[in-house]
Amino acid sequence: MGDLTGLAEGFATALQPTYLLYALVGVLLGTAVGVLPGIGPAMTVALLLPLTYTLDPTAAFIMFAGIYYGGMYGGSTTSILLNTPGESASIVTALEGNKMAKAGRGAAALATAAIGSFVAGTIATVALSLVAPAVARVAVQLGPADYVALAVLAFFTVAAMLGASPARGIASLALGLFIAVIGTDSLTGQQRFTLGLPTLADGIDVVIVAVGFFAVGEALHVASRLRRGPIPLVPISGRWMTRGDWKRSWKPWLRGTAIGFPIGTIPAGGADLGTFLSYATERKLSKHKEEFGHGAIEGVAGPEAANNASAAGVLVPLLTLGLPTSATAAIMLAAFQSYGIQPGPNLFAAEGELIWALIASLYIGNVLLLVLNLPLVGVWVKVLQLPRPYLYAGILTFAALGTYAVGASTEDLVLLFVLGGIGWAMRSYGLPIAPAIVGLILGPIAEEQLRRTLAISQGDPTALVTSPFAAVVYVLVVLALVGTQWLKRRQARLDAVVFAEAQRDEARLVTTSRTSSAPPTVEGSSRDDHDGGGVR
Amino acid sequence: MSAVEARPQAPARRRRRLPAGELAVVAVLAGLGVFALVEAHTIAVPASSNAVGPRAFPYAVGVLLVGSAVGLLVAVLKGDRGEVEGGEDVDTSGGADWVAVAKLTGAFAALVVLVEPLGWPIAASLMFGGTAWALGARPWWRALAIAVVLNTAVHVVFTQVLGVYLPAGPLEGVVGLG
Repeated sequence: MGDLTGLAEGFATALQPTYLLYALVGVLLGTAVGVLPGIGPAMTVALLLPLTYTLDPTAAFIMFAGIYYGGMYGGSTTSILLNTPGESASIVTALEGNKMAKAGRGAAALATAAIGSFVAGTIATVALSLVAPAVARVAVQLGPADYVALAVLAFFTVAAMLGASPARGIASLALGLFIAVIGTDSLTGQQRFTLGLPTLADGIDVVIVAVGFFAVGEALHVASRLRRGPIPLVPISGRWMTRGDWKRSWKPWLRGTAIGFPIGTIPAGGADLGTFLSYATERKLSKHKEEFGHGAIEGVAGPEAANNASAAGVLVPLLTLGLPTSATAAIMLAAFQSYGIQPGPNLFAAEGELIWALIASLYIGNVLLLVLNLPLVGVWVKVLQLPRPYLYAGILTFAALGTYAVGASTEDLVLLFVLGGIGWAMRSYGLPIAPAIVGLILGPIAEEQLRRTLAISQGDPTALVTSPFAAVVYVLVVLALVGTQWLKRRQARLDAVVFAEAQRDEARLVTTSRTSSAPPTVEGSSRDDHDGGGVR
Repeated sequence: MSAVEARPQAPARRRRRLPAGELAVVAVLAGLGVFALVEAHTIAVPASSNAVGPRAFPYAVGVLLVGSAVGLLVAVLKGDRGEVEGGEDVDTSGGADWVAVAKLTGAFAALVVLVEPLGWPIAASLMFGGTAWALGARPWWRALAIAVVLNTAVHVVFTQVLGVYLPAGPLEGVVGLG
């Protein structure tokens, strides 16, 4: 009862001209920032957060929905058009689109990514509208011990999935939890780890940590190892979508959606796993297996759809349980909290209007992205060509701006830079950033629920595992830890195969016609880099 | 793997050298863990607090930090090396350019010191211009000109349109900025 009415009211709100404008601004800004190289969806959301500080919650979250989907979309344009390895583990999928562009089919790659994102985003948002209220109704019955179990599950799957090795992932998680403890204990008012410094007494604002780790950390990382020389952009060429392209794309879109949405709803560290599974599936099912590694359209269509579907899937645990399963979701949770809204099972009852407006604007954002992005591709190409010194100076400026806007304090700026230094060190030694962000934001929630459980049980720790739900979740933690290691080995193997294929391809091109515009040295270094990371 | 054949010696050489950076990461993690355990012991526990007071979680964090440090140490001694994170603009083949980082740090320090006396438009322009110059933007006056235009626009949009407070410094009262 009421879900459809809620959604209809959400549309009534989100379609008001003012809110439509916020959605449009959000989509455009999200895409523009997401297109910028080196900026993933999490950093996009963190950097643009200050823009929403002074808006009313509805406007802020409508804009946020646009930024979130736009940021996701922007990244795929970057990986197709920029002839360098993309970020994160979805590297094989980035490669496929890039190869298409180099083979003169860039337009088709962009189109299948855009339309696939729209199809997947829309279906997944429908699924979100149906599933989320149902999950919330079940989740109302969960006790504090169950939340502790869910938090532990999220901690360890994110740490195991995203690190190069479990030890590195858990180290990053522990660092995030440590930062979360700094400040005043909310239950007893005791200062913890503050060293008596007044700046630290209120804890460190999560926006400052996120912006420090992502934006300043990235700026320092790039500054220390800037790739010199011209920007290796692949020109867009070819026809948008031929009949054959449509025929080869629609099934991967749907399969990608079917894979991506469920993966997004479980704590598996966001979209990477979904994109990889979709890629592996398409490679197996394709009638054009030989094209994989050289620019197979299925290898773009499926993973791009999976990526967007899991972006919607991630919102299910976020909105219904208050459980962030990716760094981006963790930052969104922090944004909710800054408005005094605690996502969880009661959210649909307490903030129904706001949440349905947010969901409605996800549908609208998807349509806007489809309508705007292909025509605006020329603009995104210009954005990609931004000279790098100005790009990173700009990132640093907006990071400082966002931090200063939080509390008008120069001490916060110092803190921001120190955290940026930590983020740089983590990037230099292979520690993933995302587990730290999830730990930082989920840590205090886990602690509160832990203490509540033990207060109810009067200190009896068995209360943590005697709830059947919690017991099942702990079994899942063990299974997930084993499962992620297996999956990562599979992924590394597939990466290696595809890259070897691509390398042979490249070598042929260089020796025969030299049609590739890429300097071979750049390709060589990127492959070494990848190989070292993925295979051992 | 064919990519390994292409540069057969590099990984092996890296593996034999003592990884000072990796060990420093282990040391920092272990140090933070020990700090957490020692500090947690000094957190005052009010008599009124429940079964689990404000110390339990910090202890757990300390144990996790020390545990991950030990785990990482074992992995590193077995030959596991953290890869420098790749990226579109990152050249992972060389070492770190400390001079660029030092210049960038200086530019940021200037912002911290100057933002309140000189206001956002001036201080942030110096920071932006300095950073762009440190990363190779030439000539310096063009970087500075872009910085001034951008930060004036940012100041106007944030203070006038979005209602966020930013100091104007000596420009206080100038039309559109104060």
